[in-house]
Amino acid sequence: MTLPAPLLAEAKSRTGKPGRPMDEAHFETFYRRHAGGVWSYLFRMTADAATADDLLQKAFFRFLRANPSLASEEHMRRWIFRTATNLAMDHFRETKRERTHTPELQGEAGAPSEPRAVLRHDMMKTFSELKPRERALLWLAHVEEADHEDIGEALGVKAKSVKVLLFRARKRLGELLTKKGLAP
Amino acid sequence: MSETCRFESDVLRAVEEDRWTDALREHLTACDDCVAAMAVAPWMERFAKMSDREHILPDPSVVWLKAKLLQNTAEANRVSRPLDVAQFLAYLVVAGGWAGLLTWRWDALMAWMNSLTPAGIVQTAASRTPSLSLSLVAAVLMLASITVMLALHTILAEE
Repeated sequence: MTLPAPLLAEAKSRTGKPGRPMDEAHFETFYRRHAGGVWSYLFRMTADAATADDLLQKAFFRFLRANPSLASEEHMRRWIFRTATNLAMDHFRETKRERTHTPELQGEAGAPSEPRAVLRHDMMKTFSELKPRERALLWLAHVEEADHEDIGEALGVKAKSVKVLLFRARKRLGELLTKKGLAP
Repeated sequence: MSETCRFESDVLRAVEEDRWTDALREHLTACDDCVAAMAVAPWMERFAKMSDREHILPDPSVVWLKAKLLQNTAEANRVSRPLDVAQFLAYLVVAGGWAGLLTWRWDALMAWMNSLTPAGIVQTAASRTPSLSLSLVAAVLMLASITVMLALHTILAEE
């Protein structure tokens, strides 16, 4: 797997000096601000809470190893999503179960409202029917509102290919929604 | 052209707020990208807002601690890599030494082994000639010592 460009390089280019390691308090602030979003993304991608936990931790381990103290918050956020995407794609390559796993609904047995759990299950199932790259494209474009360049970097494709890939992913999701009677 | 359609954000906002202008409606007749975006945007929004509140994220202090432990382990592995290479080379040298010695002095070693039998002991005593040369004994002792030291190092390093 190719690691995203080290944050240290950006920090160095901004200051002319190598960055100091991030301290624990700064890390905790950053983690509390962004870990939820990254976890949601990984959970939607993998449909498995334990895998999402595992990949989330790996993403933050890499984040700390990259020594990100002097990079901007936005740059760090983009970096962590890019790393999370790489880790998720590696996970799919390793397990070779891209479209065979079913969404996990553990812990929802005691959920307050049954219809909500059913809706959640259906949505997860629908999203899982897309290819991992399509899931990443849709999430990054619609939820993270990332531009084509960022999405391209995260997925290891050229920015100019993103437009076509995103269009196909939208069409595919649209077809699935129509098939399931969920289209608006 | 790789850029997002410049009307896309307006279209998505119009979907969200259900407020359409004539210009946007007209744009939709000519832009497949915006039509595709419009078709999935409400669903993606609901999907993104799906509650994850029941899930407890790993504690940041635990993540921090694990990251530090992993960094220390990676550092220890990096430092010990030359030692591992040296150890591997030592295995090769010892194995090669024993193989060379056995090949080179096989006859002498076999004769020495035979001299350890009762008949051999009597014969050696009668001829009063040593069954092994001093250089061979020294070579065997040296190789045996190195083998033992290497084995002890391996065991202690693993422990």
